Amino acid sequence: MKIKISRHYLYISLLSIFLFLFVLVFSFGILIPKGKDYRTARLELKKENLELQKYQNFHDNMLKTLKNLQSKNRHIISAFHTTFYPARFEKQHKALFSSLKISKVSRAKDDEGFATYEVNTTSQISSPKNFYNFLDALNKSDWIIGVNFPIDFKRDGEMIKSSFTMQVYANNKDKNSTASGSVAK
Amino acid sequence: MKYSFIKPKRKTPITPEVQIVFTFFFITLIMLFLTYAFLLYKDYTFAKDKTNISSQTQHLQVNIKKMQAQIDFIQKQKALSEKVFTKNMVLKDSISNLFDLVPQRITLSRAQLLKNGLILYGITPNKDVYSFMLQAPLRSIFHTSYTSFYPAKNGWLMFVSTNYMDKSQNEELDIEN
Repeated sequence: MKIKISRHYLYISLLSIFLFLFVLVFSFGILIPKGKDYRTARLELKKENLELQKYQNFHDNMLKTLKNLQSKNRHIISAFHTTFYPARFEKQHKALFSSLKISKVSRAKDDEGFATYEVNTTSQISSPKNFYNFLDALNKSDWIIGVNFPIDFKRDGEMIKSSFTMQVYANNKDKNSTASGSVAK
Repeated sequence: MKYSFIKPKRKTPITPEVQIVFTFFFITLIMLFLTYAFLLYKDYTFAKDKTNISSQTQHLQVNIKKMQAQIDFIQKQKALSEKVFTKNMVLKDSISNLFDLVPQRITLSRAQLLKNGLILYGITPNKDVYSFMLQAPLRSIFHTSYTSFYPAKNGWLMFVSTNYMDKSQNEELDIEN
């Protein structure tokens, strides 16, 4: 038995087979692997986005903590930053003493990474209460100042002559790069 | 003269069958190419997004590091300032306690507060008043206490009281401060 197919149909069949093979090869050879890659890349990007979100949240929390710390310790931060001027100190605390004299400012050994300056002070007070008020005022002053031993109180008629050393703390220019330093003059 | 009853049709290679086959494959190929183009575009955007994310992450990491350093520094400043403020307040209390310690009958002419001791100069009516009213409380505070007396012009006694603490206790107080 002989099957008779017209030439026209034969061409159409051959073309269809060729195109069908092309579709198959393109789909399985290129499109499906590319699709798999796309899914993997999408998952990876999702993961990286989550990671970025975590970093962003951590960053925001840290910024909040920093702002909070800065606002709560504004006085301390500015006090460490402020340059110590003996004349300004005398002017601010003169009212608590009958006389107040800051004689010498010298650089001392760094304390916990902060620059320290020693200041010799001589003063006259009418009662020890003035000295207590001075110590209270020191904690609210424009600088971080600690009174050091030895402290000498000497009776001078109706007055008390006192002499002591104060230690002024400031940001260290060399070591604390995050904050600009201040130098006593 | 006519030889046929029907009109002759022009033969064309684009038969309806060919049209169906072409339409089918055209649509199929268009869909495949569009999908491929979409995947290529997505590849490009993913690569771009990845670069953005990595640069943002790096930027955040640098910022976090900077902020951490700032936080540490402020905490260090806070700790030191609190230490200094506490020291000042302790000093204030110590001086206040010292002056409260001195009884009315004894007059101080000089007081030297040292890191580990106290030297008092003053005048007392007699040794007993000094011993009971000033030396006793001083001995309870300090480990070593020496006093020397010498007569004053008005018959009273001038004294120099030198009091020292042990080094170990002094260090303990420093640590507490």
